[in-house]
Amino acid sequence: MEADKDNVNPTIINPSDLPSRRRSAPTAKRAGLFDALAPAYPSLADGLSSPEASSSEPSSDEEPEEIDEQEVYDLISTISDPEHPLSLGSLGVVKLEDIAILPPTSARSRISTVTVLVTPTTSACSLTTVIGLGVKVRLVNALPPRFRVDVRIKPGTSSTAGEVNKQLGDKERVAAAMENKSLVNVVNNMLATCE
Amino acid sequence: MSDVQLYLLEANANNKTGALEIAARTATKLQQRTLKLIDLVTSLEPHINDKDNGSIRANSVAYLADVIAALPLKVLSMQERRLLCDFILGRLEGDTEGVGASARALLALEALGKWDSSTAQKVLRTFVNNTHPLRQFKLQTERYAVVQLIDLLLAKYRDAMRELHDEDHEFMSGFISYWEGEKDPRNLMIIFSLLQVPMTEWDVHAHAQDLFDSVFNYFPITFKPPPDDPYGITSQDLKNRLRDCIAAISDFAPYAFPQLLDKLDSTSMNTKRDVLQALQACIADYEAKTINLYSVTLWDALKFEVLNVQEEDLAEEALKALALIAAKFSDYGEGPLNAYLRPVIKECNEHLEDAPTKQSEAAGRILHALVGSAPQAADKVSKGILPVLFALYNGSESITKRRGLLEALNQITAAHVKLTEQHPGTDCRALQTFAGDAVDAMIRALISAPKSEVSFRMASLTGVAQLVSVPGVLSDKQIDQAVDTVTNLVLHEQLQGHGDIRTPAIQALSSMALNVPQTVRDRSVPAFMVELPDVLEGNSVPAAVLEAFAQLASERQIFETVVLRLKNKLRSARHQAASRAYQRALLFAILYAFTFGSPARDDGVIRSAYYADYAEPLASDFVKDVSSETDLVAADVVGRISNIILRSQSVHFQSTMYHKNLEWLSPGEDAADTAKQRAEHVTPFLLYYYAAMRPGVVDAAEVVGLLKQQAVSALSVGNSSQASATTLRLVSLLVNKFANPKTMQAILAETGLEVDTLTRDGSSPQAVQAAFAVTKGLLVQGKSGALTTRYLQSLLSLLSTSDSTTAHHFTTLLVPDEILSKENHCLISGLYKQKLFNQAIPLLTAAIRTATPLQKPAYLIALSGLLRHLPYSILSPSLATLTPPLLQTLDLTSTSDITSPAAADQAVKTSALIIFESALMHDPSLLAEHTSSLVTRLLNSTASPTNGASVRAKALQCLALVPRQLKREAVVPYRRQVVRRLLACLDDGRRSVRGEAVRCRTAWLGLDEGGEEED
Repeated sequence: MEADKDNVNPTIINPSDLPSRRRSAPTAKRAGLFDALAPAYPSLADGLSSPEASSSEPSSDEEPEEIDEQEVYDLISTISDPEHPLSLGSLGVVKLEDIAILPPTSARSRISTVTVLVTPTTSACSLTTVIGLGVKVRLVNALPPRFRVDVRIKPGTSSTAGEVNKQLGDKERVAAAMENKSLVNVVNNMLATCE
Repeated sequence: MSDVQLYLLEANANNKTGALEIAARTATKLQQRTLKLIDLVTSLEPHINDKDNGSIRANSVAYLADVIAALPLKVLSMQERRLLCDFILGRLEGDTEGVGASARALLALEALGKWDSSTAQKVLRTFVNNTHPLRQFKLQTERYAVVQLIDLLLAKYRDAMRELHDEDHEFMSGFISYWEGEKDPRNLMIIFSLLQVPMTEWDVHAHAQDLFDSVFNYFPITFKPPPDDPYGITSQDLKNRLRDCIAAISDFAPYAFPQLLDKLDSTSMNTKRDVLQALQACIADYEAKTINLYSVTLWDALKFEVLNVQEEDLAEEALKALALIAAKFSDYGEGPLNAYLRPVIKECNEHLEDAPTKQSEAAGRILHALVGSAPQAADKVSKGILPVLFALYNGSESITKRRGLLEALNQITAAHVKLTEQHPGTDCRALQTFAGDAVDAMIRALISAPKSEVSFRMASLTGVAQLVSVPGVLSDKQIDQAVDTVTNLVLHEQLQGHGDIRTPAIQALSSMALNVPQTVRDRSVPAFMVELPDVLEGNSVPAAVLEAFAQLASERQIFETVVLRLKNKLRSARHQAASRAYQRALLFAILYAFTFGSPARDDGVIRSAYYADYAEPLASDFVKDVSSETDLVAADVVGRISNIILRSQSVHFQSTMYHKNLEWLSPGEDAADTAKQRAEHVTPFLLYYYAAMRPGVVDAAEVVGLLKQQAVSALSVGNSSQASATTLRLVSLLVNKFANPKTMQAILAETGLEVDTLTRDGSSPQAVQAAFAVTKGLLVQGKSGALTTRYLQSLLSLLSTSDSTTAHHFTTLLVPDEILSKENHCLISGLYKQKLFNQAIPLLTAAIRTATPLQKPAYLIALSGLLRHLPYSILSPSLATLTPPLLQTLDLTSTSDITSPAAADQAVKTSALIIFESALMHDPSLLAEHTSSLVTRLLNSTASPTNGASVRAKALQCLALVPRQLKREAVVPYRRQVVRRLLACLDDGRRSVRGEAVRCRTAWLGLDEGGEEED
């Protein structure tokens, strides 16, 4: 039962070592432990300042938060590996430093490009194409249309990189792959763990 | 016609009650001696021997059974009973028609008088010889009666039954095959239970395989009870009984283990679950000597469930089984335990070599399970693993690898912590040998490893705290070092967010305070004090240090030290005129300690001495002394500290304190200006102080005086919003708690708080607010129903003419207020929310239907405000009438009324969205007819900037539920539109909203699997 896995015992990255937004953006203002104890004046004086109405959005829409590499990472790191019940992030298949967002090439264009480099767990991993496909489908569905999604195998990490890159880069072939019932099922299972 | 003929007619017509009545009549005749038993039996004769019709024969026996069952004790003599018994058994030998009725008749006979051994044996032998196999009888009820009869025999005539087996070696095989092919769960439940008697009490060694196979044939149980099953037998019931059979005797082991392990390879998770539980039962119940033969085989099979986890619960069960084996051997002898652990240790050591991997992690879990199983196993495992683990640790420079090894070590230590709690005095020498090295390595990691190695340092922190928790493995010096290191982390690590090690370090320090309180007191507390000077430069406050210090109070052992140090610090800060912010922070820390910490309790009640030690001095410093600069926050916090200490004390204690404090609490004879200032200053304290008092403590006249005073303050113009909020809460509290319901209206009139007066035309906003406060107090109390209803209607009538500000006040009626609680001895009606709902909501929904466009928003806002704090269960029955107005609520635009702040309008929408969310979760069918307008409005609510981020996110959450909860065909038509419009939300300015949009869009895309994937 185990023998047909390409890599039976992969190295796992500890969840606390995975990149997360909390590290990359040290919050300017910290919620103190005692804030909850400070006298709240709910209810009667003016129901208008009841806690849930005011607290949830301090400066809400004024400061837009741009889509960045971490956000792309969060979208794809929770995809599960087709072989192990583990996430692509914890297996190191997708890494924050292998994600790049390129701004529009000209002032007139709105199209940005997201490039993701995928690192298979072994160089002979036969499921590399499926993983790449899963990442691509996830991003196409989850990013606004002004992003072009480019998923490739990280150079030097797979024996079949060239072939796989060709497949993933070809719109027609991706569309054709998603017509394949069993492939769609595999991809959906991978994406089922995404938040 | 004779009774038997009548009975046969009724039975033939399937009239059970009629038939039973006839049998009962016959029984009465027998009892009154108007009928002789011999005549009864004779009357049966032509029918019971009917050659052509089996059912007549069966029914005749049934008649006899029913008659016997209806007889009271002592009607039949022993001889007659024996005669009947022989008659029935004799019949069976020639004719098995009516076997169920025969069994029932025998059961009834047995109930009339106990059998002797030979009769009992004869009954069982007759059945096994003449009705074998039981499955030849098609009716479950027939078989059921036989099963019941034999169950009775095995339960009551144990020796007689065993003799049957001892005397006749052929008997057992017949008895075993007698049950073959039974499928009905009702019968199986009893068969599994009765088979336990021969299994456990008879010498069945020679028949073990047959006996085992006869029950194991049913494994795994796949029975699913039919819906509305009247018998209530679940598949779990069957599984439990079957498991008891499988684990009944060690003689089964040669058959049970191979077959169970074979089934462990099943692809069905449920089968594997059953196998693992059966294995656990076998390990627990079989003899150690038997388990010894299979321990390594079991290890070889079970380890795969942990090394390659398929389902988390399967791994847990496998670990449990592995631990049970080790525990089994702990009192049995060294040899078997060694034989079992040797391959385990060898394999775990191999996995540790390439840590951290999936399998090294699994090895850690296995070690945890085995160490936790018993002291003997803990010792052997530690001796086998730790030398290798430390050799690997010292032989590697890789931090990742070291982290993996530390995690495995932590598993072992954690199991030791558990073990020493369960078996105090456990010898942990094997761990102790390496504990020094371990704690040194971890302390080094905490001090000098790069901060970015988060998991490595976390693992070290966990390890240090755990090693301190195992009694006796660390020397005092090592404990000192450990405490110092963790204290240092708490005080000096600044990293926020990811990689924050302070929060776990504080927890670690608290847990160490449990085990080594003196060390924490001697070393950590002074270190904290150094960081807390008496006076600070400027306005900065060492908040992080104070927070950490206050959290230490969660440990009972050092609570007293923490609060005492805080109080002294506050006193010296005050004497040296430290900044107000610093004093407040110290007060907050004390409040935090009392609220979330572990103060001493006498008989479950917080120790009353704290009142004199903390509440009184603080009150006299911060509340009594009006001359000091007014700090409402301080008064509030001191009020809450007093409240916590005071509220569960006895009436006697409270009353003594109250009369002592009354002097300075009541308004003095000051000039008007000072009085006002004083009142404003003391009110926050009063609020919590009166909340703590039991109702009997405060005199009625004083309440009226106090209410009068608060009324004046509530109705006066120009108070700060905090001050007026506090006043209004106090009004609600006093109305709720101290005012007598009988004299309520009089009191309100006397104090100027009559709602009808307050809401008269042209009343001031302050008056309206006071009206809401009074109504709230009454509403929650639930004692003055009529008055509350009238007041509520006065408030509702305000809506037709007022602006949205008044409408927004409605939410205050239900907003939860911690002050109005049972702990504060308030009167809390269990049904006040329902009452309010039933009174106000029909009026509001009716008004919305007829309101002019100008009036409508006020009604909608009031409705949404009331619903906001209602549990969903109350409003769900009225969902059909509520849905249209709630949908209209989503159309409200804040621009229609610029006087109210946008936040309030957002709250109105959020409240409607939360209701839709619950409705989609629980009663999606009710929303089905509104699908179109719901989808459109939810989509509109995702548009910025008219909707705040939280409204947009909530709307997306609701929208994501639509395709999951509503019928597919109802939502598919909207798929294209929704998926397209959600593209805009994917580009929302707020990250949290984008996250919801992704989830929502995934849900809608999932509607059409395999079809067009992209638009």
